[in-house]
Amino acid sequence: MRAFLIPVLFSLTLLGCGPFEEVFVEKDLLERPQAKRCSDCHADIYKEWKESRHALAWKSESYRRESENYTKTKCLACHAPHQVDPEKKPKLRAEFKDDGVACVACHFKEETGAMHGPLKVWSPPHPSKQDLSYTKSSFCAGCHRETYKEWKLAKSSKSCQDCHMKSLGKKDLIQKFPFYLFHRAKPRHSHRFTSLIASEEDIKVWFEGGRLYLENVGVPHNLPTADQGDPRLYLIARIAYKDGKVRTLRRMFSPQAENALAPGRPVGITITNAEGVSSIKIKLLRKLSWKKEKELILSREIHGEGLPGQVRRGNPEGGEGVGKDSEG
Amino acid sequence: MGRKTLSLLLAGVFLGASTLASEVVLKKPPESLDNYYPPKSKKWEFLSKMHAMSTYFYGINLNINNEDWKNALRWAKELKKEYVATSKMVPEWKEYFKPKLADELVKAVESKNVDNVLKAAQALGKTCAECHAEYQLSVKLAYHFPSFESIKLEDPIEFMEMDTGKYMEKMTNSLKALKIYLMQGDKDNAAQAGEEFVERVRALKGMCSKCHTSKLSVEAIMGKEYMSNLDKLGEVLSSGSGDKGKVFGLLQKATSACMKCHNVHLVPAVVQEKFEK
Ligand code: HEC
Ligand code: HEC
Ligand code: HEC
Ligand code: HEC
Ligand code: HEC
Ligand code: HEC
Ligand code: HEC
Ligand code: HEC
Repeated sequence: MRAFLIPVLFSLTLLGCGPFEEVFVEKDLLERPQAKRCSDCHADIYKEWKESRHALAWKSESYRRESENYTKTKCLACHAPHQVDPEKKPKLRAEFKDDGVACVACHFKEETGAMHGPLKVWSPPHPSKQDLSYTKSSFCAGCHRETYKEWKLAKSSKSCQDCHMKSLGKKDLIQKFPFYLFHRAKPRHSHRFTSLIASEEDIKVWFEGGRLYLENVGVPHNLPTADQGDPRLYLIARIAYKDGKVRTLRRMFSPQAENALAPGRPVGITITNAEGVSSIKIKLLRKLSWKKEKELILSREIHGEGLPGQVRRGNPEGGEGVGKDSEG
Repeated sequence: MGRKTLSLLLAGVFLGASTLASEVVLKKPPESLDNYYPPKSKKWEFLSKMHAMSTYFYGINLNINNEDWKNALRWAKELKKEYVATSKMVPEWKEYFKPKLADELVKAVESKNVDNVLKAAQALGKTCAECHAEYQLSVKLAYHFPSFESIKLEDPIEFMEMDTGKYMEKMTNSLKALKIYLMQGDKDNAAQAGEEFVERVRALKGMCSKCHTSKLSVEAIMGKEYMSNLDKLGEVLSSGSGDKGKVFGLLQKATSACMKCHNVHLVPAVVQEKFEK
C-alpha cells in the first residue's frame, strides 16, 4: 500500500510547492485548539499525554479542592497555562482549562505563530520552528520551580526530559493518512511524563555509630520533590535486639515538612541502645501527591554494626506490588 | 452647638456600647449568616454592608460640620437604603433593625436642625451597638478564620491521619516525655522522645500551607532561624550527650512557636469548635 501510493502522491507535489502547502495548511491549529485536535495527526503523542498527570492538572480532584474550587487565583496559572517559556512563570489561559498542561501551551508560541519543538521538521499543516530549549531542564522550570532549584544544586548531567520524557527511539510523529507517508521516523520522547519511582540503587542505607543513615544518591532532586503537592516518603525500621526485644521506628519525609532527602546529604536517625542491636529490617515507601496507595521503594536488612545484609525486594505490608515504573 | 461637639457625639454612637460593657459576650451567629461568608460566598457581603453604613453615617457628620445640608441629606438617604437592605439579609436578626429610626434620621437632616439630627443619629446608632455587643466578636472569630476542623494532619511517627487537637496532644506528650526522661537521666529514651517531638513539630509546619499561600506568614513563626534551632535540638538529642542545660535552652526556643501560633489561631479555633462551625 505504502509503496504504491508514494509515487501517486509525489506526482501531486509536482504541481508546485506553493499551492501544495496552502492546500495542506490547517489554520485553526494556530488558533489555540484543544489538545484533542492535535490527535488528528499526532495520535500516539496525544495518547501518551492523555495518560499523564499534565492532562489532569486542572481536573484533578485534590487540586480542585485545594485551590478552593478554582477561587485561589494564585493557584491557577501553572495548572492551565497559556504559554510555557523557559524559567518563566506562565499566565493563566482563557480557553479549555480542563485540558490542564496541554499541547498548545507547551508548543505554540505567540511571537512566531508557529509550533516550537526540538526537531527540524517540514510540517505543511502548521508552521514549525526548531527550538533547542525543549531539550533542557529550564523548559520545565517555570512551573516545577522548587524541583528545578534542587536539580541545579545537584549538578546532574541528566535533564528532566532524560528521565521523565524517556526516549522512545525513532518513530513517526504523526499517524494521519496520507501525511505520515511523507515523513521519516524521528526521535520521539514519551509524553507520559511518568513520575518514575526510585530504585534500590538510588538510596544508600547504613548503620554507623548508633545511627541509621539514609542518603539519596541517585535522584538529582529532593526525594520526594514538589512545588505544591504533598508527596511523602515513609521509613519503617524494625529493630531487633540481641535480647529478643523488637522495636519499630517510623519516620516521614516530605517537602512540606522540609525534611525531604536532598541529593548527597545523608540523614541520620538515632537508634536507642545501639550496642544491643542485632539486625534492622528497613522498608522505604513513597506516596505521590495524587495517589492514595503507598508504593515500595526498597526493603533491606542490615546486621550488626553496619554489616550489609542480603538485599531483596518484596511487597510492602498491605500495599501494592510495584514495578520499576509507576506506569505499572 | 460647635462643630467639635457634634463630631464627638456622633463618634460616641459607635463607641457607646463597647465602652459601657464590662463583659464580653460571644453569641453563636445565626445560620443564614453563612450565606455571606466563605466558603459559601467570597464576597463578604455582610461585612461590606457594615462598611457602607458606617461610611454613610460619617458622610452625614462630615457634611453637617461643613454646613452642607444638601450632601448630608444625600448620605442620610443612602444610609437608610443600606440599613433597610441589610435588615433583610439575616432573617434571624430582623428584630435588631428599626427601619423607622433610619427614616427619622432622614427627616431630621431634612429639618436642618442639629439637635434633631443628633437625637435621631443616637437612636439609630443604638441599634447598631446592640447587635455589635452581642455578635461582632463572635462573627469575627467564627467567619474570619478558616476552620481547623477540616484539616487533617498525618502523624510522622505513627503514619495516622488525625485532627489538629489530637495531633497537638501527641506532640505535647512527646515533649513531656522528653522532659521527664531528661530529668530522670534516661538518655536513650529522652533521645527517642525528643526526636519524635522534633519530627512532629517539623510536620506541623507542613500544615501551614493548607491555609497560607504566602510564605511570609509561616516564616513569621517558623522561619529559618526557628528551623535551624530545631535541627540543632535534633542533633543534640541524637548525640546522646544528655546535656540537660543545652536541651532545655533549645527547647525554650522550639516551644516559642507554640505560644505565638496559639496567640493567633487558638482562640478562633476553640470558639469555632464551640459553635460547631
Ligand atoms: C505549565 C506548567 C508546567 C510545565 C511547563 C511542566 N509541568 Fe510538569 N506538572 C505541572 C503540574 C501542574 C503538575 C501536577 C499535575 C497534577 O497532578 O495535578 C505536573 C506534574 C508533573 C509530573 C508528575 C508528578 C507526580 O506527582 O506524579 C511530572 C513527572 C512532571 N510534571 C514532569 C515535567 C517535566 C519533565 C517538564 C518539562 C519537560 C514539566 N513537567 C513541565 C506543571 C508543569
Ligand atoms: C509555579 C507553578 C504552580 C503554582 C502557582 C501552583 N502549582 Fe500546584 N503544582 C505545580 C506543579 C509543578 C505540580 C507538580 C509537582 C508537585 O507535586 O508539586 C503541582 C501539583 C499540585 C498538587 C498535587 C497534584 C494533584 O493534582 O493533587 C496540588 C494539590 C496542587 N498543585 C495545588 C496547588 C494549589 C492549591 C496552588 C495555589 C496555592 C497551586 N497548586 C499553585 C505547579 C504550581
Ligand atoms: C493535519 C496534521 C497535523 C495536525 C492536526 C497537527 N500537526 Fe503538528 N505536525 C504535523 C506534521 C506533518 C509535523 C512534522 C512531522 C515530521 O516531520 O515527521 C508536525 C510536527 C509538529 C511538531 C514538531 C516541531 C519541532 O520542530 O520539533 C510539534 C511540536 C507539533 N507538530 C505540534 C502540534 C500541535 C501542538 C498540534 C495541535 C494544536 C499539532 N501539531 C497538530 C502535522 C500536524
Ligand atoms: C509539559 C509540556 C509539554 C506538553 C504538554 C506537550 N509537549 Fe510535546 N514536547 C515537550 C518537550 C519538552 C519536548 C522535547 C523532548 C525532548 O526532546 O527531550 C516535546 C516534543 C514534542 C514533539 C517532537 C517529538 C518528540 O517526541 O520529541 C512533538 C511532535 C510534540 N512534542 C507534540 C506534542 C503534542 C501533540 C502534545 C499534546 C498531545 C504535546 N506535545 C504535549 C513538551 C510538551
Ligand atoms: C536521573 C533521573 C532524574 C532526573 C534528571 C530528574 N528526575 Fe524527577 N524523578 C526521578 C525519580 C527516580 C523519581 C521518583 C522518586 C520516587 O521514588 O518517588 C522522580 C520524581 C519526580 C517527581 C514526582 C514527585 C516525587 O518526588 O516522587 C517530579 C514532579 C519530578 N521528578 C520532576 C522532575 C523535574 C522537574 C526534573 C528536572 C528539574 C527532574 N524531575 C529530574 C528521576 C529524575
Ligand atoms: C444585626 C446585627 C448588626 C447590626 C444591626 C449592625 N451591625 Fe455592624 N456588624 C455586625 C457584625 C456581626 C459585625 C462583624 C462583621 C465581621 O467582622 O465580619 C459588624 C461589624 C461592623 C463594623 C466593623 C467592620 C470591620 O471591618 O470590622 C462596622 C463599622 C459596623 N458594623 C457598622 C454598623 C453600623 C453603622 C450599623 C448601624 C447603622 C450596624 N453596623 C448595624 C452586626 C450588625
Ligand atoms: C486553618 C487555617 C490556618 C492554618 C492551618 C494556619 N493558619 Fe495562620 N492564619 C490563618 C488565618 C485565617 C489568619 C488571619 C490572618 C488572615 O486572615 O490572613 C492567620 C494568621 C496568621 C499569622 C498572623 C498574620 C499573618 O498573616 O502574618 C501568622 C504569623 C500565621 N497565621 C502563621 C501560621 C503558621 C506558622 C501556621 C502553621 C504552623 C499557620 N499559620 C497555620 C489561618 C491558618
Ligand atoms: C497552627 C499553629 C500552631 C502551632 C505552631 C502549635 N499549635 Fe497547638 N494548637 C493550635 C490550634 C489551632 C489548637 C486548637 C485545636 C483544636 O482544639 O481544634 C491547638 C491546641 C493545642 C493544645 C490543646 C490546648 C487546648 O487548650 O485545647 C495543646 C496542648 C497544644 N496545642 C500544644 C502545642 C505545642 C506544645 C506546640 C509547640 C510545640 C503547639 N501546640 C504548636 C495551633 C498550633
